[in-house]
Amino acid sequence: MLENYSSNATTAKIRAKYAQLFTQEDYRELAALRTVPEAAEYISRSARFREAFAEVDPNTIHRGFLEELLYRENFKTYIRLCKFQGLDKQPFFGFLIRRSEIDCILSIINRINSSLDRTFLSDLPGYLIKYLTIPVMELSLSQTYEDLVAGLKGTRYGKVLKKIPVREDGRADYTECELRLRTAYYAELLEQADKEFTGSVSDELKTIILREIDCRNIINAYRMKSYFGYSPDEIKRRSLTYYGIGKKNMERLYEAADPEIMMDMVNHTIYGKNSPDTDNIEVEINSVKIRRLRHYLTGSTNAPVALYAFIILCDIEVSNLVHIIEGIRYGVEAAAIESQLITL
Amino acid sequence: MAIEKMALVNIIGRFEDLDETLIRCCDSGCFHIEPAFKNEANSTVKLLNEKNPFGVPLKEFASLATEMGIELKETKGTRFNGWTAEQFNELSENIDSEIEEKNGEKQKLATEVSELEGAVLQVDHLRGMNSDFSKIFACKHTACRIGRMPADNLAKLQYYDQTFFFVPFETTKDFCWGMYFCANGDKELVDSIFRSMFFERIHLPDYVSGNTDEAIAKLNDQIKNKKAEIEALDKEIAVLAEKHDQTILEAYTALKKRYDIFELRRKVGAVKEKFYIKGFVPKKQADKFSESFDDMEEVEVVLLPPDADAYCTPPTVLKNGWFTRPYSMLVEMYGLPKYNGFNPTAFVAITYTLLFGIMFGDLGQGFLLFLGGLILGRKSKQAGGIVARCGFSSMIFGTLYGSVFGFEELLDPVFENLGIDFLPLKAFEQSSFILLTAVGIGIFLIAVSMLLNIYIGFREKNYEKAVFGCNGIAGLIFYGSLVTFVVSKFILKIELASSAVFALLLVIPGICIFCRVPFAIAAKYKKWKLSEDEEDMTVGGFIVENFFEMFEFLLSYVSNTMSFLRVGGFVLSHAGMMLVVMTLLNMSATAAKPFTLVIGNLFVMAMEGMIVAIQIIRLEFYEIFSRFYESDGKEFEPMSVSFDTEVNI
Repeated sequence: MLENYSSNATTAKIRAKYAQLFTQEDYRELAALRTVPEAAEYISRSARFREAFAEVDPNTIHRGFLEELLYRENFKTYIRLCKFQGLDKQPFFGFLIRRSEIDCILSIINRINSSLDRTFLSDLPGYLIKYLTIPVMELSLSQTYEDLVAGLKGTRYGKVLKKIPVREDGRADYTECELRLRTAYYAELLEQADKEFTGSVSDELKTIILREIDCRNIINAYRMKSYFGYSPDEIKRRSLTYYGIGKKNMERLYEAADPEIMMDMVNHTIYGKNSPDTDNIEVEINSVKIRRLRHYLTGSTNAPVALYAFIILCDIEVSNLVHIIEGIRYGVEAAAIESQLITL
Repeated sequence: MAIEKMALVNIIGRFEDLDETLIRCCDSGCFHIEPAFKNEANSTVKLLNEKNPFGVPLKEFASLATEMGIELKETKGTRFNGWTAEQFNELSENIDSEIEEKNGEKQKLATEVSELEGAVLQVDHLRGMNSDFSKIFACKHTACRIGRMPADNLAKLQYYDQTFFFVPFETTKDFCWGMYFCANGDKELVDSIFRSMFFERIHLPDYVSGNTDEAIAKLNDQIKNKKAEIEALDKEIAVLAEKHDQTILEAYTALKKRYDIFELRRKVGAVKEKFYIKGFVPKKQADKFSESFDDMEEVEVVLLPPDADAYCTPPTVLKNGWFTRPYSMLVEMYGLPKYNGFNPTAFVAITYTLLFGIMFGDLGQGFLLFLGGLILGRKSKQAGGIVARCGFSSMIFGTLYGSVFGFEELLDPVFENLGIDFLPLKAFEQSSFILLTAVGIGIFLIAVSMLLNIYIGFREKNYEKAVFGCNGIAGLIFYGSLVTFVVSKFILKIELASSAVFALLLVIPGICIFCRVPFAIAAKYKKWKLSEDEEDMTVGGFIVENFFEMFEFLLSYVSNTMSFLRVGGFVLSHAGMMLVVMTLLNMSATAAKPFTLVIGNLFVMAMEGMIVAIQIIRLEFYEIFSRFYESDGKEFEPMSVSFDTEVNI
């Protein structure tokens, strides 16, 4: 009980930060700009990213670095919020670090599979290095999947990846690796939400996490169905096995005859209610997702819930900004850019 | 205390006389222009939408003044009267040609200085390097790049097995400044590695030589020399500025006027070869306005009644006497009444002044406010006027309360000598009387507001408003009966009439208010309809809608009346605050007493004065205006041109 009260300041701080997120009007103004330097200048003037851009000249900034700065600011915001009242001492709050570690490992697997030497080093966001619990720089030198697993020995990821069969060419199936790593990640997260918190905090956290998994599963299933023509069994095998809307309901979606029917069925679930009229599955599902997250962020007084929801909202915001910057870079019409944004 | 009568003015003339006509309209100071037409279908009249030819020369003269360091100010002069835009352009080009060369030179030097200063900033980050730049760049087999990279990426460098090394010089919060070396053969590969880590290369100018300190010293020397050259050029430009100073200022002033007048053409209509201007002038100035065009034979001014054009609503000018004039500020703040509407300024003036006096009664503080108002009146007539009047009212009520700068007994002997035993009113001893009187004042003001609403309703032939509405006759009877019943029964404890009579006096007006819309329609159109707008209003819908409205009306009667309790509350609060000041005064040392008295009084005056002023505005706007006033008037804006140094073209 007292712990909940002690993190009230973090909740207040998160809400104050939440007010700094870009609004639909901001996105509209940004998408209407014509050049990347103009967009960089606009972003650098915002309260949210002003500090991150303090030493940067928007006129000469590299687009890749601009995007990295946005992601870095998100990560630093997360670190600052966790350290503000010492929340980082609780294992649950390491969720973003663990997620980043999984992304790094998957990048290295991808690099090994595609035989590209050292490209991971260039892609590795420098700001992550000191926060990760795995020796990511050493791992980047791995030449085979076995090297990587050996490097991860003793970590939570080593155990998961060890079980994946290695093919004759020394490589492992990327999709399988991703599925196992993410399954282990969500399993740990749900367990932490259950054990470290009680009552409404635990319930709200588990609901948010399960809904996040649902969204991921629906989007992936739709893609597998429409672009690769996978059967329901294949989709089921490649999806995460946690369900917010229930196993049966999710499997019913997988079993839909075609993507259109599946989307029609989705529209009758909580992920289709009042969703925007768009052909983009990601925009549709995520728009509903962020509405729920906003609801949790503004309604919940629990810091873990507010922080988890806020970090996802920040991620969506940065992905919107990256969309806009790319759109501007390739001369896409402002209206077309806006239609790809998740803003509901 | 009414609204100024207007006359609709139509001006028709030849295009040659348009500018002169517009100038005279501006000079009259009483002409409110309207767009020549509002109905698009009226194809015979077209609005003039030409490009303003004076925009370019105006901008030119503004930039000339900036370049020559001349401060723009309004300057009288007639030598540019009647000049065309081309003539102004020619004049600006002539002046510009004289300073162009010097200005170009100055610009070039300024750019060079800015580049040099940029180079100093860059080189400053390389202070850790003690070798000669020229020697490093002259290496045949080694490539070298200077620049900065995100500090986060430094850790990655050791994991590359290419042959390069990076020498860091300085690390800021986000970046590390330094240089990397590699073999010429690996240059492209290493460059691409560093680019992928967002290394930003700095291209040092050729003139940077020696080690860092030497290079910075050389750069600073060059900056100093170039700045001296700029200064010398500034002096030469200043001499030229002195020569053309007067011409530029006069030309700018004349141009600004011509530009603004040309802009006014956007509201002027064109009918074949003639222009057509439409607007309003106050009726008492109409003849004088018309006479000012007598010498322009081809220009015809036609005066018409203000309602002659259905597409034009006449603007509103409040007509007030000397006492009420300053209070028009408050009425305008709420919104102007429509032309032919009711001017509430006099009512506001009287109620505001009285309520302020009651709530802030103190002879001494009122006197200071009065003096303050007179002084403030020199800067802002309206604000000063209100403060002075409120101060005077405060003095009167302060006398009745016997309060002078918080000394509540100072006037007692005066009243005793005069034999007036019911005065002064002691706030704390007669608090119930004061609070009940405040509610009484509220009831009176609400009743007067209703009477005003009835008067306005009958004038507008709006029977719903005048007779059946909650502020009409029905509302007044309902409210009056309710108040009389409560006062006689519970306060005076007398039986004025039987409860049945009171019930009748409440029920009949209540039914009228409930059915105000159908009753008003029946009275006006002699037919029975539940709603004027909605054709399909059902009886059920009508009952539900009016039930809630009725509930709101009843609530507003009670809440608006109770709201006036604050008047009495502030009498007590003022006395209370001054009591605190007096207590502090008694506690202070003798030397500190005057200080405590002055500071205490000033504090109470500032804080309470402001709160009372705001509270009365609230009472006026919410409790009083909401009962009768509709602010849908249009402001009277006489055409004018004003001097401005900002050029927004």
